[in-house]
Amino acid sequence: MKHQIMFVAAAALAFAGTQSAAVSADREVHVAGFGAKSGVVRSFGVNTEAVMRAAAEKINNEGGIKLGDGTKGKVVVTFYDDRCKAEEGISVVRRIASGKAVVAIGPTCSNVAEPLFGVLQKRAGDASDTGLQFPIFTDTAIKGGLAKISEWAFRNVPNESQMYQSLFKWVKKENPGFKSVFGGVEEDFAHSRFTWYKVMETRAQEAGFKVLGRVKWLLNDTNFTTQVRQMKKAKADVIAISSHPFTLCGVLKEMKRQRVKYKQLIGLTSSSSLETLRGCSKQAKGIIIPTSFAPVTAAAKEAAAGAAKFNGSADLHSAAAWENMFILKGVIEKTGVMAKGDTVQADRRKIRDGLAALKSTGGLIGGIQRTKEGEAVKPYVYVHAQGKEWKILHDPRK
Amino acid sequence: MDDFTWGMVQIVGVHTILGLSAYVILLTGQVSMAQAGFVAIGAYVAGMLTVLAEWHIIPAMVTGGLAASVLACIVGFPALRIRGLMLVVATIAFGEFVRLFWFNFDYRIAKGDIVVGPEGGEGFKQIRFFPENGWTTQDVAVFVWVVAAIILATLWWMDRSRAGKVLRAVGEDEMAAQSVGINLTVVKVAAFTAGGFIAGIAGAIYAHYTTHIEHLNFDILMATFAIAYPILGGLANVWGTLFAAFFIQVIVIEVLRDLGDVRNLMFGALIILVMNFLPHGLFSAKVVRKLKEWMGIGKMSDA
Repeated sequence: MKHQIMFVAAAALAFAGTQSAAVSADREVHVAGFGAKSGVVRSFGVNTEAVMRAAAEKINNEGGIKLGDGTKGKVVVTFYDDRCKAEEGISVVRRIASGKAVVAIGPTCSNVAEPLFGVLQKRAGDASDTGLQFPIFTDTAIKGGLAKISEWAFRNVPNESQMYQSLFKWVKKENPGFKSVFGGVEEDFAHSRFTWYKVMETRAQEAGFKVLGRVKWLLNDTNFTTQVRQMKKAKADVIAISSHPFTLCGVLKEMKRQRVKYKQLIGLTSSSSLETLRGCSKQAKGIIIPTSFAPVTAAAKEAAAGAAKFNGSADLHSAAAWENMFILKGVIEKTGVMAKGDTVQADRRKIRDGLAALKSTGGLIGGIQRTKEGEAVKPYVYVHAQGKEWKILHDPRK
Repeated sequence: MDDFTWGMVQIVGVHTILGLSAYVILLTGQVSMAQAGFVAIGAYVAGMLTVLAEWHIIPAMVTGGLAASVLACIVGFPALRIRGLMLVVATIAFGEFVRLFWFNFDYRIAKGDIVVGPEGGEGFKQIRFFPENGWTTQDVAVFVWVVAAIILATLWWMDRSRAGKVLRAVGEDEMAAQSVGINLTVVKVAAFTAGGFIAGIAGAIYAHYTTHIEHLNFDILMATFAIAYPILGGLANVWGTLFAAFFIQVIVIEVLRDLGDVRNLMFGALIILVMNFLPHGLFSAKVVRKLKEWMGIGKMSDA
């Protein structure tokens, strides 16, 4: 009889186990990603998707996400291409918000983030505002101060103002003889333009540099002869270039051709990527860029390996998607997201509130502070191009 | 219908209006690549009126359209002296001029604790008339289509009136039209003005449903889309433009989203194929006549 009872109990437990496993297998936490997977900035979206999929795989291999009722749910990632177009970005997010996704990570471009955040409800819970009520946790669009547009928008992007303030001061301290800076700016791209005029130029002056001037070009330009000639004529000690890898390489090659002399090159955060090394590693040798990602910790190395497995690369921007996935895992577990068909909107609100309540989070190269406006203050290092890789030049935390 | 579908309804509506702005001008045989410039004028003017002056969307939209039509009228006069390829080049130059004007235009004022208004290359943000006034995505979609329906109906009626015949006569053969007493100056300038007004209306709505505009939104690609719709759909009537806007925005851009860059190739290939094999567009007069016969509506009188 005792054996029978034990058998029945074991069978019941096994049945309960299979039921629990079945429930777990049925419960899915849908996380959507979106960004540019077409056009000039295609690589950004490709990398973000690879990193998101790698992070999801790791989370699922470790048992998934613990949901509000104690069961475990699998993370399911879907990714959409917005072509770096505002209209398409809005359409993609409406599509995501009409489905099962409880949160979205993206977009790539600031010119998509800005209108998109405008479409979201400005103040969470404001019944008079019919904006979209859907949490977005941006990994890439880096133009300053965008998250304050909506309380449903959050970002995990580096604070460039702080990074360049620190970098210019450091360069001045290390090289007191450097007196002047000359700028180059990719004028028609929201991020690069903002970073030169609102960040680099002012931060260089604050650090004691004299800004001799600037030259401008456009994202689709392929000829930089005139601009580089002006750059050469300025004879500045430091040349600071606020442009993305595509035109940065064009400018650097032209600078080499015209034999422009300078003592230090400084680049835009977004250019600390593989694209720059693939396009012009020789010409970029020595360029210093502040970045919030470098494979210097075990976690960062794991993220980089994971991205490579999914045919992408972890860099300043895409690595943030890894952090976002794990931050979201923590928020989902803490706020008791249910991930059921009838709790989608409630789950979205829980995630928004959870993200808004965060004061600090973990990060790949160190702890990240969160601000009231939904922005991040991330740790960063200075890297410089050496051959086919970015090497750490200085860690301001040390 | 969910929010996404209503969003698509909005997009198709705005692009239909954009296509119709080029349709009117194409009827007179002129190819205008300036439509993106007119859209930009409507977008910025209407945006400034709702955000800075706190106007309602309807007067702001009409004013945006009127501002664009004034500029279009001015552009229409030099367009009388040139035609064909030179007109295309001149209108591209105008579009770029307008885009760069907004690129350098900075006019912001403090409104509460924030500063709002166009900020040159940074763009013009917080154009939030719709959400701030309780308009849902569905409300906006209905509004867009009421405006689109008014424009469609007006052009459809015009096509059947003497005005439409005059526009088409100029488009078919300027010399012949002039020889029967049609004033080419009035017709061409009127077509440009009407096209500019419609484009300005499209711009006003565009600015308010995207909530943020910047000069790059109004580039050569938008101008290409504007003329692609009536070219693909055909100039036999207004429905071709509506069909082409639906086909490009819903099928090519949204349904085939996962194809990435291939969509751009498809768009180009589609235009080449249509121009080669269906030079009068998908809805040519012949196709429309056959469709009508098949539907039992009777022979088309004016196609």
